[in-house]
Amino acid sequence: MSEQNTPTPTPGVTPTDSPKIGDDGDPILRIEGITKQFGGITALDGVDLTVDPGITGLIGPNGAGKTTLFNCLTGFHKPDDGRVHLYETDITGKEPPAIAQQGMVRTFQIPRELADMTVFENLLLAPMNQHGERLRGAWIRGDQFVEEEQVIRDRAREIAVFFEIDHLLDEPAGSLSGGQRKLLEIARALLTDPDIVLLDEPLAGVNPTLEQKILGRIEALVEDGYSFLLIEHDIDLIMDNCERVVVMHQGAVLTTGAPEAVQSDERVIEAYLGGDDV
Amino acid sequence: MVSAGLLDATVQGLITGAVIAGGALGLSLIYDIAEVPNFAHGDMITIGAYLALVFNNPGEIPFLPDFGSVPFVLAAIIGVVLAGVLGAVYELAIFRKFRDNDADLITMVIVSLGLALVLRNAVLFLVGSKNIQYQTPRVITTNFDFLVTQTGLTVITTQRQAGELVTTGEWGYPWWLIVAGILAAVAVGYAVFALYREEEDFTTVSLIPPKILGAAGSIGTVLLLGVFARLDPQGTDYILGTQIGLNVKHITILAVVIVAMFILNVILKTTKLGRAMRATADNMALAEVRGVDADRVQLVVWVVAAMLAALAGILTGWFATNLTPNMGFALLLPIFAAVILGGISSPYGAVAGALIIGLSMDVGVYLIPGSSTYRVAIAFVILIGVLLVKPEGIWGDV
Amino acid sequence: MAVADFIISLLTFIAIYSLFGIGLNLKFGFTGLIDFGHVAYFMIGAYVTVVLTMPAGAAGYSGIGGFALPELFGVLGPIGSLFGWLLGVLGGMIAAALVSLAVGVPTLRLREDYLAITALGIATILTTVVNDEEWLFNGPFGINTVHAPLRDVFPLSLGSFTLNMAVFGILSLAAFGLTGYWLARAFRRQGRRGKLVLGVLVPLVAVWYFVLPTLSDGMVELTRNTLWLFDPTAGPKGGMDYDRFVLLLSVAALGGGYWLVERTINSPYGRVLRAIREDEDVPRALGKETFQYKLQALMLGSALAGAAGALWAINIGFIAPDQFAATITFYAFTAVIVGGTANNKGVILGTAFFWGIRNGTRFIDVPSQYSIQLAASRLMLIGVVLILILYYRPEGLLGEQDYDIPLPSRDSSGGTDDV
Repeated sequence: MSEQNTPTPTPGVTPTDSPKIGDDGDPILRIEGITKQFGGITALDGVDLTVDPGITGLIGPNGAGKTTLFNCLTGFHKPDDGRVHLYETDITGKEPPAIAQQGMVRTFQIPRELADMTVFENLLLAPMNQHGERLRGAWIRGDQFVEEEQVIRDRAREIAVFFEIDHLLDEPAGSLSGGQRKLLEIARALLTDPDIVLLDEPLAGVNPTLEQKILGRIEALVEDGYSFLLIEHDIDLIMDNCERVVVMHQGAVLTTGAPEAVQSDERVIEAYLGGDDV
Repeated sequence: MVSAGLLDATVQGLITGAVIAGGALGLSLIYDIAEVPNFAHGDMITIGAYLALVFNNPGEIPFLPDFGSVPFVLAAIIGVVLAGVLGAVYELAIFRKFRDNDADLITMVIVSLGLALVLRNAVLFLVGSKNIQYQTPRVITTNFDFLVTQTGLTVITTQRQAGELVTTGEWGYPWWLIVAGILAAVAVGYAVFALYREEEDFTTVSLIPPKILGAAGSIGTVLLLGVFARLDPQGTDYILGTQIGLNVKHITILAVVIVAMFILNVILKTTKLGRAMRATADNMALAEVRGVDADRVQLVVWVVAAMLAALAGILTGWFATNLTPNMGFALLLPIFAAVILGGISSPYGAVAGALIIGLSMDVGVYLIPGSSTYRVAIAFVILIGVLLVKPEGIWGDV
Repeated sequence: MAVADFIISLLTFIAIYSLFGIGLNLKFGFTGLIDFGHVAYFMIGAYVTVVLTMPAGAAGYSGIGGFALPELFGVLGPIGSLFGWLLGVLGGMIAAALVSLAVGVPTLRLREDYLAITALGIATILTTVVNDEEWLFNGPFGINTVHAPLRDVFPLSLGSFTLNMAVFGILSLAAFGLTGYWLARAFRRQGRRGKLVLGVLVPLVAVWYFVLPTLSDGMVELTRNTLWLFDPTAGPKGGMDYDRFVLLLSVAALGGGYWLVERTINSPYGRVLRAIREDEDVPRALGKETFQYKLQALMLGSALAGAAGALWAINIGFIAPDQFAATITFYAFTAVIVGGTANNKGVILGTAFFWGIRNGTRFIDVPSQYSIQLAASRLMLIGVVLILILYYRPEGLLGEQDYDIPLPSRDSSGGTDDV
């Protein structure tokens, strides 16, 4: 059923163009020399990276700076130095909403569900630029408002069915289990119709069946032109499912390449054995 | 005779700042370690002031028998201790329970607001709204006239004795001495700074930052020279003249607050308890994992903060010569401004923020005519200006 | 004073403060902004409306204005005059919103606790300015030339005494009927404890309102209390007096504010506001410009507070800076929290509870030298109630309300339809 569930861009709901299908040559993200310090401690030390369409896995030992990189890319941290381009747009130092509007959204490592709102409301929040999100639209409520809200509800239900949280739609999100929160987090990000999604450990704590299902879903979305950059600790998962792998170590990119190539790279083995366990 | 000017406003501002600092020290502890933006802090100040009043001047309190007056200093000590007991009550009866419930910041704000209403109105209920004074020995203010003349600086001190203005001293400093003094102060300050900076390495937790120690060295040198190198007057034909009024209250308040700051700092930096407190401030959950008894730490925080608040209240009541149920609440805004300005987490930051706020209030009122009702407003404009530029405060939030 | 008159003055208070509280609820309950300076907008709404509507050169007034808007439109008759007053209210609301915009731009980017303290500080400063700058709004002397809209029309008489009594009497009975219906519906929905509370409280109030006055003052008093809209002593033929009109006006304003806030929060817009309250990073990560939302919520809430201020001014007939102390904000917070944060019905219930207790205590006889003690013990009680509620029932009496965006035709509602 997953084939039918692919979110289709909705008029008036999607801010950006539909995902850039077929632009295979151009990288989605160009990251040049991103540096970030926290009170004298260098978390990112000149990260250079290009992210091409498809699934890219980001691995590295604890403290390598993966989440900090995500924060710098999505505007939650201001990088001290360096530039980030999303397609041709320079998004360095922009605020998170502006970056999300450009088509790059992220999930959080520890899921941040809106606990007192229902699961359904958590999902309905996500689609961008709804008419009813503006004060005038909320007050006046024309036909467009109604139509749009119905479309959004249908999409939210569909995605909930896929992630098997549809029976929980009316529950407060705070009552979900850890794994369900992960699912909600991903579903919410997908509902924004992004070009690229940064997934921060989306599979940690999810049961193996669901894990495979999420991965299958991601692959189906890639077919439709969406791209993913995901942080994951389970190396095997990354190796089996990603087209390219980026390895970070001590705040910089150690190497990039196809899974097989990376797996046999001496420096990667060294970094993992020398650093913390994975 | 010369009139009071900018210098006097600066001295007044320092004293105001010191009084604010007394409150700010306690508030920053609660804010940082207990993570409560304590809107009851102003009223804890009021409570402290009235606790000392109970022993110093019980006749003024309607529901109390007049059992005679205890000397002010003793009453102050008893008041501070009792306030500490009350601090334990706030923590045990209220804040610990909310912490155990994982109350969020907004809830803590409202809870402290509720406590503020209870405390202020308890005072109003028991004492009424009239102005009351401590029974203290009369304090005589000495006016220092500073006259800048052709040959140097002349200082004339006067006091009001039995209604008459009496000149009590007259001396001066020639230019060469002033220049030499400044040079000496700079040299001493830098020497102290350099000496202590060299000892510092990554692992040292310095009790007093070398910069502050250096500044203290400079100020100390100037004061020592000023007191002991009093030479002949340099004439009274002045080019520039200004007057400041000083009395034992000013000196005491400054001294008490500075001593309190140092003691607090020593506790935080050298004792096991202090380290536990700082660890708790950093990350309460992590501190507990590492075996810190968070409940005990929080108890100490509230007790110490309540004692500091009481100290500030007693000093305020003594300095302003009367006590009202609103005295603490009126200080709440400047105290919050000082703490936010200083960046919440260090005693030095709180005191520095308080001095900036105090100075800006009194100097601002002096510089802007007709602005005396806007003292607090001036402090606030400065706070908002700083927050616009640096939302985490001057000293940062680290 | 008849019990009806006491109830009318109490209900007017409750309606005005409920409107004020609903404005706060939009900021605090739904968006999570701790605006400790809410009373400032109440004050601005009151002052600006009064100055826009009062005549120029009023005796004993040396501030700006007045601008006599109702007189300007008065040539069109009473309706024109009322329109002029409404324009004045609109001006007061806009002024309140604009000042909150100026406050919000620097402070809304700060941490929530910093916002609380800076908002309190700015409100204190604004009150000081109004108090100290006589050229502005007459300083501490206040303004006693408040324009009362449609004052000339009242007491409203429709003709003969009988007609007045019949029309206003039927309207009064209709109001009772509506209240009864509403109570019955509420009763049916309650759990056992709610049923018990209502089952005890409603008869008690009924006895106090209908039976006790009849026993002490006879049938005339019963008639007055039953046909409460009709005042036999107002004018030669009886009629509806001005106090009753102010009550109706306040209730209408409350209804309008309630509707507006309900419509605002039961919408995709409201979802964003609540998401901001829960965790601002989430809507930001999803592409919502949360700063704009916070600013708008602040302005809208302040405008409602401004409207409440305009009503306050005509209800009291005199405004002065000392009416707008910071404690008013704290009362509103208490009412919102007691009734149920993020529940507009709860705000009205909490406000009724709060002012019922506050004004009800005026029946307690205390010697005048203990009036300070009485006032102080009230406030102590409020503080204690606040802490106890937050500990034992943080969701308040009613809890957070349900939300729904009703859509026509298709059955696709996500929540319950009880809003």
